[in-house]
Amino acid sequence: MTTTRRTLLAGSATLPFLGHAALAQPRTITVGYQLPLTGEFSQYGERFRNSALMALEAFNTSRRIPAQVNIVFEDTRSDPREAVAVARKFVDNREIVAVLGDFSSSASIQAGRVYAEAGMPQLSQTASHPDFVKVSPWQFRNITTQAYEGPHVARWMSASGVKRVAVVAIQNDWGQSVVSNFVDAFKATGGEVVATQMYNPGNREFRAILTDIARTRPDAIYLGMFYEDGASFLQQRRQLNIRAAVYGTSSMYEPKLIELAGPGSEGMFLSTSFMAESPEAHVKAYVEEYTRRFRSEPNMFSAQAFDAVNIMLEAIARAWPDVTRQRVRDELAKTKDFPGVTGATTFDPETREPAKTLARMRIQDGKFTLLPN
Amino acid sequence: MFDRFDIFFVQQLINGFSVGLVYALVAIGFTLIFGVLNVVNFAHGEIYMIGAYAGLMALLFLSPPWVALILLVLAAGIVAGIVLERVAFKPFRRFRDEASLKSKAMRESTLLSSLAISIIVREATEKMFGADMQPIPRAYANALQEPILFGELAIASGQIVILAAAIIMFLTLQVILFRTQIGLSIRAVAANPLGAQYVGVNVDRTVIATFAIGSGMGAVAGILIGLYQGTIFPAMGFAPGVKAFVAMVMGGLNSIPGAVICAIILGVSEAVATEIFAQGWADLVAYVFLVVTLIFFPTGLFGAGRERV
Repeated sequence: MTTTRRTLLAGSATLPFLGHAALAQPRTITVGYQLPLTGEFSQYGERFRNSALMALEAFNTSRRIPAQVNIVFEDTRSDPREAVAVARKFVDNREIVAVLGDFSSSASIQAGRVYAEAGMPQLSQTASHPDFVKVSPWQFRNITTQAYEGPHVARWMSASGVKRVAVVAIQNDWGQSVVSNFVDAFKATGGEVVATQMYNPGNREFRAILTDIARTRPDAIYLGMFYEDGASFLQQRRQLNIRAAVYGTSSMYEPKLIELAGPGSEGMFLSTSFMAESPEAHVKAYVEEYTRRFRSEPNMFSAQAFDAVNIMLEAIARAWPDVTRQRVRDELAKTKDFPGVTGATTFDPETREPAKTLARMRIQDGKFTLLPN
Repeated sequence: MFDRFDIFFVQQLINGFSVGLVYALVAIGFTLIFGVLNVVNFAHGEIYMIGAYAGLMALLFLSPPWVALILLVLAAGIVAGIVLERVAFKPFRRFRDEASLKSKAMRESTLLSSLAISIIVREATEKMFGADMQPIPRAYANALQEPILFGELAIASGQIVILAAAIIMFLTLQVILFRTQIGLSIRAVAANPLGAQYVGVNVDRTVIATFAIGSGMGAVAGILIGLYQGTIFPAMGFAPGVKAFVAMVMGGLNSIPGAVICAIILGVSEAVATEIFAQGWADLVAYVFLVVTLIFFPTGLFGAGRERV
């Protein structure tokens, strides 16, 4: 306790001279990162921090700007209430020029309200709820939403000669956005959506849905779900001998999908922004270094965070030497064709929604294989 | 309605029948325990889950032949059932006086104790194995997931196994109940626990035996259904548990044949409901049946009229 108080006193004593000190010493720029480091989402927070440390180290050793950047990590458990408390703390810290995080949309939105009021740029690597970027012009995200992915898959299907599609999606906000975004885009290409089925979360029995779909004789089935449900679906599709091609949302990109669904997953198409097996040099370098440092392979979440941190550092570098909250926000909004491991990323200056190049994959011989675009 | 009578409708009936069999497999053990104790064993879904995990561990470390696998899981289920009885049910049978034995409160405390055990077991499993679905060794998974085609109709090899298992379990249970000494005492305790005690039936032993039989069957159902659906995860017992409960109530609470028939009716109705409205609404069928049963058939469709639901 004593030490803390003494340090504080010493700190306030030097405060009037800080302006001079900053000129004399290399400046430090501080970024806040709010993320779940404990609780049920801690596995994601760990991945974010790992990636952030990698990106930060590379940036600081590159000496792109004559200053060091520092990231302050604060645990929120991705709980909206904790997120607000951390956001207040970050806002009050005048050193902090920008914030990364949070993990879930609800925590990011709640914290976002605090940042909106205080004028602090916020970039979340994962908050995909439509409302997040609508909080204020201070919110950015580095994850594509279904508004981007749906039309992408619709064009892909249409180009592959698919005319009749059946859509199956999980019954929640996200699943509904999968359906609405895809259906509109696919109809615009001249295709026909012959069936739409929503299923309740937790349901793993898809035979009734599959049979119902099979009657409409679709060319392809589009799945809006996560890998566990997807594995059950694919496996039961094989049992019912339904041969329509299957396309899935990027949320199904997970090696365990193949492990769980076995031969049922063979031939499935899906799009993704990150692929660990990508032959591109910078993706390879990232995967190798991450694997070496943290003894686990990076997944889509690690990659999203890696790019988010790099986009933030890039904006800071462009804002240099005038690194203020306002300037960092403006530079973030100018992000264009950022060459990340999750593809080239552009932020729409108005909506602050990201556009990315989505890679196309197919499951072949029990492996995710990259398809030429 | 008849314009719907196409090959897909037949397929839908087959789907529904197989779903119904899954509910029936769970309902058999559930109803047996209810029949004797007159109280819902909320941990039955977890016994089912334990069976699946025990079987999965056996597959991973021993890769036993099928018969050995089933026997191992049966043993695991019996042990789990006896432990469950000891921890959640026995303490509430401490008082042997007539008032306590007749007291509903004493009986119904076990509702909560079994619910508590079920939460503890499920959360502990999540801590140990994670909440996600466990991959199943391919050789075993394939055995129950192979498609079998009859022209345009398709069934899975696992559906035949589930059908066989349901028939075997049902018949075994009938033999145990009506041809053995322990079956006689189970029926005696089910009919009148106090009376059974007065004529010298060892109630404690009978209850333990009931748990052993019911839980053994629940565990075997767990591994078979887990392999057939390819879904082994900590919360796997919940959904079939709820449907089995509805089937049991519809069947009259203590009628095992009634529960089996109602489980199949439920499965088929759910599948046919998908023809009419979205699958998201199919769960409604079970609850509508439950409410209709409670209002119009308070003793269940096949109940002996012993007690109102």
